Amino acid sequence: MDQIASVLLNFPPAGGIADDDLYNSAAKSHSQSVDKLAVTPNFKDTAAQLLDHVDPAINSISHLSLLIAARAADSLPQPELLAKISIFLVSFDARQIRYAGKAFASVLDWVTSGNLFPASVAVDLVTAALLRIDPTGSVLTTHHVALAKLAYTTDNVGPALPLLEKNIVFYPGVKGLQEPRPLGSPDLPPASYVTVESGLTKQLSSSDVLQYDLFRGLCFIQRRSWSQALDALERVITYPARDTHSCSKIMVEAHNKWVLIGLLLNGKAPTLPTITAPGAQKAFSALGKPYQSIGNAFGESTGRLLKTEYEGLGPQFFSEENNLSLVRLVIQHYQRWQILKLRQVYTKISLEKIRTRTQSAETGAPLATEAEVAQLIQEMIDEGMLSGVIERPADGPAYLSFHVPDEVLSEAEFGQRMLQTAQRLKELEPIVKATNERLGTHRDYVRFLSGQQKKDKDWQRDYGVGFMNQVEDEDLMTDAVAGF
Amino acid sequence: MADSLLAFFTLMDNQDGTIVREPPNFDLDLYIQSYRGRARFDRLFLIGRSSVPLCVDALKLAIAEAKRGKDTHRYREAVECLRVAAPSEPEAVFDQKWLEAQDAENKTETNRLLKELKGYKNNLIKESIRMGNEDLAKHLESIGDLNAASETYSKMRPDVSTAKQLLDVGKHLVRVSIQRREWDMVSAHLSKMGGAQSAEDEKAVQPYLKIAHGIAFLGREKFKDAALSFLSADSNIPSSTYGELASQSDVAIYGGLLALASMDRNELQTNVLDNAQFRTFLEQAPHIRRAVAQFVSGRYSACIAILESYRPDYLLDIYLQKHIAAIYSQIRSKCIIQYLTPFSCVSLDTMNKAFGGPDQVIEDELANMIQSGALQARINTIDKLVTTKAANPRAQMQDSALRMAENYEKQGLDRLRRMGLAAADLELKSVKKSNPFGSQSDLMLEETLG
Repeated sequence: MDQIASVLLNFPPAGGIADDDLYNSAAKSHSQSVDKLAVTPNFKDTAAQLLDHVDPAINSISHLSLLIAARAADSLPQPELLAKISIFLVSFDARQIRYAGKAFASVLDWVTSGNLFPASVAVDLVTAALLRIDPTGSVLTTHHVALAKLAYTTDNVGPALPLLEKNIVFYPGVKGLQEPRPLGSPDLPPASYVTVESGLTKQLSSSDVLQYDLFRGLCFIQRRSWSQALDALERVITYPARDTHSCSKIMVEAHNKWVLIGLLLNGKAPTLPTITAPGAQKAFSALGKPYQSIGNAFGESTGRLLKTEYEGLGPQFFSEENNLSLVRLVIQHYQRWQILKLRQVYTKISLEKIRTRTQSAETGAPLATEAEVAQLIQEMIDEGMLSGVIERPADGPAYLSFHVPDEVLSEAEFGQRMLQTAQRLKELEPIVKATNERLGTHRDYVRFLSGQQKKDKDWQRDYGVGFMNQVEDEDLMTDAVAGF
Repeated sequence: MADSLLAFFTLMDNQDGTIVREPPNFDLDLYIQSYRGRARFDRLFLIGRSSVPLCVDALKLAIAEAKRGKDTHRYREAVECLRVAAPSEPEAVFDQKWLEAQDAENKTETNRLLKELKGYKNNLIKESIRMGNEDLAKHLESIGDLNAASETYSKMRPDVSTAKQLLDVGKHLVRVSIQRREWDMVSAHLSKMGGAQSAEDEKAVQPYLKIAHGIAFLGREKFKDAALSFLSADSNIPSSTYGELASQSDVAIYGGLLALASMDRNELQTNVLDNAQFRTFLEQAPHIRRAVAQFVSGRYSACIAILESYRPDYLLDIYLQKHIAAIYSQIRSKCIIQYLTPFSCVSLDTMNKAFGGPDQVIEDELANMIQSGALQARINTIDKLVTTKAANPRAQMQDSALRMAENYEKQGLDRLRRMGLAAADLELKSVKKSNPFGSQSDLMLEETLG
């Protein structure tokens, strides 16, 4: 047992290792010796005891292997094991764990499977762990997909938000990459160590990527953050395709929701981005017809068309498509948007006029009383959708007065906002750098470059022809050639 | 109104025809004198079908006109109308004898011309073939077979030998296309006519080309192009060269009205009032000149009043009838916009005085204009005010700069992402050709909404 302990505590040495290359080789050999140790029969039996002596934050690789052994041997009481796993996941050394990706992935798999921890805890733990490995959150892994699914289906979106809000830019599975820096190098971009080879993720398929963004969209819908949901769904529908006819069912599903979200967010149907693949465009226009006609009906000045569009297909249809609550919400919001649009025409308008001018799409008729209108408007003002106030003068009818937004920003305010954007753009710099490096060292690019250089050389060699080509036929008679 | 007239106009109304109840300002006999050819019947017939006060007179004149020609189909149509509108008139009875005789004569004439043409073709003399075709087409046109006429006219083209003949072919085709209301064809034929002649010939046909172009643009509702076309017509060329299309006063009316609908005050001043070429035309229609002058000097309600008093006249014009509503509403909204320009705030009452009528509420009109984006203003229905919104270039600049910056960020991220997808070879590709959805499992998710 002491012998085992000494191997486990061997890495990292007390003072740490300053040199990256030394760290790399030491970590590698440690990881291998731990793997060797793990298959010895002794190891299993002592794992539970040793766990207390191996600090998860310092000897992360060792602690990880002990956890796996302890679970396999079932030598720890369940509550204690769970506590150990939780502590490990929030405190492990992210640099070390790059050398034990496969083992780490299996622990994450336990947690995301959902039968070890209660879902809310599981979501929280996995989110924290994934962000520890990749603080930028820019690389998609199989765990991301599982987490999003778990969070959405168990209604625990809140704890996963820090991860879901990150922008995914890199995807594992790039072939032919050459990474000269060692795995443990602190300035290594996450995309270079969160790879299939390191075991931190498995190979992804295009439908995994689509699912992840669709789940993200659904999570944001659940939180009613429409603009984030719209962005997430837009990523699904603009997913690149290699040919002109393929489209995924997930994309169609996302498109339908995307149209409805666009109505809720902007009061009009969104226009399909131009980068949408042609096959997808065709599929959307054929399969998304009911939603497009809802979108068109939303723009009409009377609610009747929207009502008939909805009732023509019936709640049954939308419930089968799992969009019933969204569609209902859209219909509820119709009149609100009608009122909001009055803002572009009026500064003050009487409630009675609002009543006659706008219609509820639920009934296809104007509201019955002025009090109902007042209540609706008050709701909108309270929710922050409308900026204005209802005035009730003593000698006249009640009216709504829209606040005219102060259009011109002060110079300082404007500068501030531009600076914020510039800052965000600056934050993209490491991503751009990483992409550049990755693609610059890609096998295909190197091949292309060497081909290009060869061509340049060939061109230089036949300078005579090159020169002759530049001289036109007529010029042959003039002095241009005489000096040659 | 007599019962029969009422019945006739109910019928016209059911056929979506335009009905003009007010008497126009012109005298029918004088009006029709300025037209020649088949246009005379077309104009008379249109007036007969549209104008309540002139219905019977116009139809009677139309019947007389038809009887002078060879087109029996027109005669039948006109008599048919008169029989409903005024059955007691002597002209309302079919002249069966004339009809039969004319039909027979038309038939023999067609056959004779066809036979002649065949003979020419056998002789292979280009000029004869061209003339044979021309005679036949003219005959077909006069009996109302416009389809065959235009076909035969275009058969003249291969045998044309001089620029003048080319021009004639073009004119024939343009005339027939206008009668058939095929505006795109008119433009197509016109474009083939330009450029083939000497400078002098060019000058002689310039008004013809410009006016025909204008009519074609008008037919396609391109008001500004049409206006520019009419305004550039040369008034020094005798009106006989384009008489089959429009009279001089027509040119003035078309040009002036369309310019009012599509140009701003400066353009109107330079293109209409200061246009020496166009002045001759305008002299034929002084009221249009007055309306334009009122508009330019800012008396919008006077301008609208003049135009309103001439509305029945324009509604009885063969080319304008369909577009008069659109043209007038454009002029009106332009007047309102121009009226509001110098003010930052106008009371609804003054607006009502200037533009409103007993059956027109200016507020709704303004609301529609603001909604469509034509007018930048806000209405305050409580204090009865209209406040105009001055364009704020500074705010626009700030807005667009911020939006651009955000867009740039979004696009940058998106491109990086797509590069990542492409590098990882994750782009969508179908597994089998027959199955566009690839081999993905059905993914349908329960929806929950917090």
